[in-house]
Amino acid sequence: MAKRIRVLLAKLGLDSHTIGVTVIAKALRDAGMEVIYSGLKQTPEMVVRTAIQEDVDVVGLSSLSAAHMSHFSRVLELLRAEGASDKLVLGGGVIPERDAEKLRAMGVAAVFTMGATTTEIIEFIERWWTQREAQ
Amino acid sequence: MSQPPRDRDDLRAHQARWERETRGPHVAAHGERLAEFRTQAMRWPVKPLYTPQDLDEIGFDYLRDAGFPGEYPFTRGTSPDGYRTELWRMLQVTGFGTGEDWARRGRYMLEQGLNGLIIEYDLPTTNGLDSDHPLAAGEVCRAGTAIDTLADMEAALDLPFEKLQHLTSVCNGPQPVNLAMILPALEKRGVDPDSFTLQMPNAILIEYTCVGRYIYPPAHGLRVATDVIEYVIRNHPRWVPIAVVSAQLYAARANPVQELAFGFSIAMQYLDAVLARGFAIDEVAPYFSFITGVDMDFFEAVAKLRAYRKIWAKLMRDRYGATKPESLRLRLMASPGTMSLTLQQPLNNIARLGIQMLACALGGGAQTMTSPLHDEAHALPSEEAIAVGAAVQNIVAHETGVADVVDPLGGSYYLEVMTRKIEDAVFAEIEKIDTQGGALRAIETGYFQRALAQEQYDRHRDLESGRRKLVGVNQGAVSGEKRSIELFELDADAERRQIERLQRVRAERDGSAVTRALARVREAAAGTENLVPPILEAVKAYATHGEICEALRDVFGSHHPDSLTTGI
Repeated sequence: MAKRIRVLLAKLGLDSHTIGVTVIAKALRDAGMEVIYSGLKQTPEMVVRTAIQEDVDVVGLSSLSAAHMSHFSRVLELLRAEGASDKLVLGGGVIPERDAEKLRAMGVAAVFTMGATTTEIIEFIERWWTQREAQ
Repeated sequence: MSQPPRDRDDLRAHQARWERETRGPHVAAHGERLAEFRTQAMRWPVKPLYTPQDLDEIGFDYLRDAGFPGEYPFTRGTSPDGYRTELWRMLQVTGFGTGEDWARRGRYMLEQGLNGLIIEYDLPTTNGLDSDHPLAAGEVCRAGTAIDTLADMEAALDLPFEKLQHLTSVCNGPQPVNLAMILPALEKRGVDPDSFTLQMPNAILIEYTCVGRYIYPPAHGLRVATDVIEYVIRNHPRWVPIAVVSAQLYAARANPVQELAFGFSIAMQYLDAVLARGFAIDEVAPYFSFITGVDMDFFEAVAKLRAYRKIWAKLMRDRYGATKPESLRLRLMASPGTMSLTLQQPLNNIARLGIQMLACALGGGAQTMTSPLHDEAHALPSEEAIAVGAAVQNIVAHETGVADVVDPLGGSYYLEVMTRKIEDAVFAEIEKIDTQGGALRAIETGYFQRALAQEQYDRHRDLESGRRKLVGVNQGAVSGEKRSIELFELDADAERRQIERLQRVRAERDGSAVTRALARVREAAAGTENLVPPILEAVKAYATHGEICEALRDVFGSHHPDSLTTGI
């Protein structure tokens, strides 16, 4: 049986909007992935530690407050420092397009904001997975 | 022409004939738009037409189910004369920046003709952290106002109190600390605390259920909230120390039945805790108020507001034995819901706000209303949006005539059926929560959280599948839409100024007095005495918000929900 894609969904800082992360957790599970949810009030250090301990393939970072730039860039930095930058890092939440552009330049593979569908997100992850498996 | 029906048998025959001869052939020839018609949130099937027959089916009894305004069961309103005596109080939420920034915005809003304000605090404050805590970085003064010390609260309350009738202060986790900041700040400003109504939602059980700004484990959260209620009833009987913010449940996608059942169960949990302090039901019940939001399904919204009043009256009378009219009359603040606003085509939200505000007015019974703003999905509201939001309320109040007749939709066959349907379903759900041991247990076991998580997913799937329509999102969406509305720019320097003031206060105060005051707070927390008086002393010694919350955390511990209790 093919290995299931393991995904960590994380809430960074004090932002406690969880509807997006809940919907995505349930949708990814329905699509056959394994989902680990970090809980609230996580620091970038905690998220990276969990990502490595749980050996996840994908790290989804959710932010609906203004702190996404500093938190997301710190997660990318720590993943690189830990030699774990092969993980797919996705961002989601209320993120203005000008910030999304900067995040993509830093290494966030995709940023999904309001209006993104769960199908889009699932397809994005599966496409990345297929390409990685082929290599 | 046929005679009008003389009795119900006659009506039944007429309706069967209409179905057979008139509607049947029409539908057979033209079909219908949808394979099935359902309400938006409850997904209840709806019939093409409601008639007196439907009232017969539910055993509708005018006196028992509707009654008269101002009398039990208050379905038609808590006021005997509806909005003819006075209109609802009009409020808007605001909160950002430092205390001074908030006061400036508050004064502007009062000048727009509003007579009440709601102050929201930033995430560090509501999570019980000081502005210079590592987790606070980037969040200070963002989603609300930062309050670290008494000095900040004094600045925030620089308001024209002669215009202010009502202030709601939303700081659920650390509510006793927040109250203990407000009291001496008013004293320093020379404001009589009883010259206006201070409402504190004190809604910690809602935070555990869906909002997430909790600090201590739930049982301790309940104790802290109960201390605030007890303190206010004994010392400031005009204030409102508790509001069940079921609007947050609704914002977390609770359907109307979940919103009411979870909200009432939570209310009863607080009520039981306060009664255990030696109060009688009629001394306590009048303080309870609810804050609700309505959704776009118009009749679900109006029926929900009517059922709200009726269920509360029944619970208070039949379950608690309350007899005073003030105990049975629901205090309600209603507002259009932010969750129905869209990021796409933001001006459309003005239409949504108008429709929902109309539903609030027709649902009646809300003494206070507030309105989110059309650009809220983008960022903090602009001044233009605040003015439009206030105008929406005034247009509904003054131009439509709906405020001139009490409960003008009452008697609508459809509405009465829907009101009863919500009522029955809410009582069934309350019973389910009772058998689990009540709201605190339902939170501790994650029952509420899991139910909401499922509803969030189902609602999202309804939108993705197109069963539920949102204009500009899955109906009439414009691809590559350019968004150009005026957005409020945050002052990037506010965080630095806030931290500077906090550190200045810390440097200037009497450190040993603070240490002593915090030790008293810990001692009180370990026992059973009311926490407000020792916290007041700590605030007056300029202990910080974060330090006081930390002292309580030392005794109570922190709340760390697992996957079962997050519902994810």
